[in-house]
Amino acid sequence: MQKRMIVALALFYVVVPVLLNGNNYILSLLVSSLIVAGMAVSWALLGNLGGMVSFGHAAFFGIGGYASALLVTKLGLPVMVAIPAGGVAAVLASVFMLPALRLSGPYFALAILAYAHIFKILATEFSSLTGGSAGLSSIPGLPDIFGFNLSSRLGAYFVVLSLVLMFCWVYGRIRRSDYGTALRAMHDSEDATRVVGVNSLMLKSWMLFVSAFMGGLIGAFNAHVINFLEPDYAFNSAWSVLPIVAAIFGGYRTVYGPAIGAVVIYLVDQLVFKEIMSTGHQLILGAVLAGMILFAPDGLMRLFKRKPQEARNAHT
Amino acid sequence: MLTLENVTVRFGGLTAVKDVSFSMGTDQVLGLVGPNGAGKTTLFNAISGLVRPGGGRVMFNGVDLTRKPLHSRAHHGLGRTFQIPQPMHELTVRENLLVAQRFGAGKVDHKRLDEIMDFMDLGDQADRNAATELALQELKRLEVAKAMATEPRMLLLDEVLAGLETNGKRHFTARLQDMHKRFKIGILIIEHDIETVSSLCHRVVVLNFGEILADGTPDAVFRDPEVVRSYTGGGEDA
Repeated sequence: MQKRMIVALALFYVVVPVLLNGNNYILSLLVSSLIVAGMAVSWALLGNLGGMVSFGHAAFFGIGGYASALLVTKLGLPVMVAIPAGGVAAVLASVFMLPALRLSGPYFALAILAYAHIFKILATEFSSLTGGSAGLSSIPGLPDIFGFNLSSRLGAYFVVLSLVLMFCWVYGRIRRSDYGTALRAMHDSEDATRVVGVNSLMLKSWMLFVSAFMGGLIGAFNAHVINFLEPDYAFNSAWSVLPIVAAIFGGYRTVYGPAIGAVVIYLVDQLVFKEIMSTGHQLILGAVLAGMILFAPDGLMRLFKRKPQEARNAHT
Repeated sequence: MLTLENVTVRFGGLTAVKDVSFSMGTDQVLGLVGPNGAGKTTLFNAISGLVRPGGGRVMFNGVDLTRKPLHSRAHHGLGRTFQIPQPMHELTVRENLLVAQRFGAGKVDHKRLDEIMDFMDLGDQADRNAATELALQELKRLEVAKAMATEPRMLLLDEVLAGLETNGKRHFTARLQDMHKRFKIGILIIEHDIETVSSLCHRVVVLNFGEILADGTPDAVFRDPEVVRSYTGGGEDA
């Protein structure tokens, strides 16, 4: 496992940059796919561990982006300080979502969707601060560090890759902890876990905060990559839907599945399906996803993991 | 000491439990009996925090638990099982107990978990999936084992013997008696089988229409004509 991890890290940090350096188009696509990957891990953490299906992760993405952009442009904070502050802003916003934790299933999903919409309206209406529907432009990009330009495509790739891997590590650590075991136990038997002393509301709150922080952080990073924000973009429902699609495609019950799912579907959609159908290529993506749900509902990661076992079974 | 003071539970216009008061020590095994719909499980839910009483108080070892959240009851030494076993899905038997011990007793002690699993005859099932690979009798034992892992002073057992065949029931009853004596755990048990209640319990409280109909030793209570009429739904010869 450790050997595979070293090979993967070498591939991500050395081989990919060497192969793609200079190919800004592919690097841009990779950065975009990793942004979706970060959102997918954030969503899966809340969905898989917290047991809460969110349709409103765009709220965290948008809040993180706006908070970071405003902290830099209005208060003059350094970009690398403002980005984590964007994550913190998303956590603060998620405090207002705590009452929704008492809801479950579709009721929770709809409540979070409503919260996301409220934040979009706030971003539009507080025009003196946010620029209203016209948005914010000229948001400073990522800085140079040790002479390396992080705002270049390659620099952005390294930053977002590191963020996504850190998210996966945090997700894995929580999942393997006693808290992760208790969270998994809560899914189908919340009363049974509460009766043995598990404070389910507190655990779910923490998952919401961690998930919000991840979403806010990625949103903040994105704001400094594209250098522009407006409410329709920052709070777009795509930031809620794409992570769900990616997480389900990759396997939302696995640690790396959501991130891998995001990169695979984003790149395949942009590089293959878009070539086949320049407009409406999402139709093919939808068909692939439907097939995935029907024939491999546990996602891509579980599909690969099952193969050796099936092969062994076939020989016994 | 568990003390109920005028506990009342209402669901809309229906009073499911009305002014129920009694006390029991951790040195007792108390049987809570009564016909279906008498309010036994509702009273359990009120004690364990699944429903909030509309009136009255639930005290345990001098602490008023009435308004305390469900999860905190385990921290005060009050455990419970469910009539329909509720194993924690996705988890093995050991993990079920680990969650209960970690969050209920606030510690992780694998040796103690092994003891509990052996005591409840679950030692061989430790790594099996609790929700999908256990038979009913094993699930019932897991319910008790989970509650034991929280290191309770008092256990509320909701029809934990229901559905078991005669030998299984006798074996389980002996295990509960042993648990009460060895670990000094008080037991409040809902059970329909009079023979089991008589052999297991020091004391019996009979509920009927949400109110206490009788309270005393099993012999005295099961000879009470009022109890026979209400509990069996028939005459004195029932």
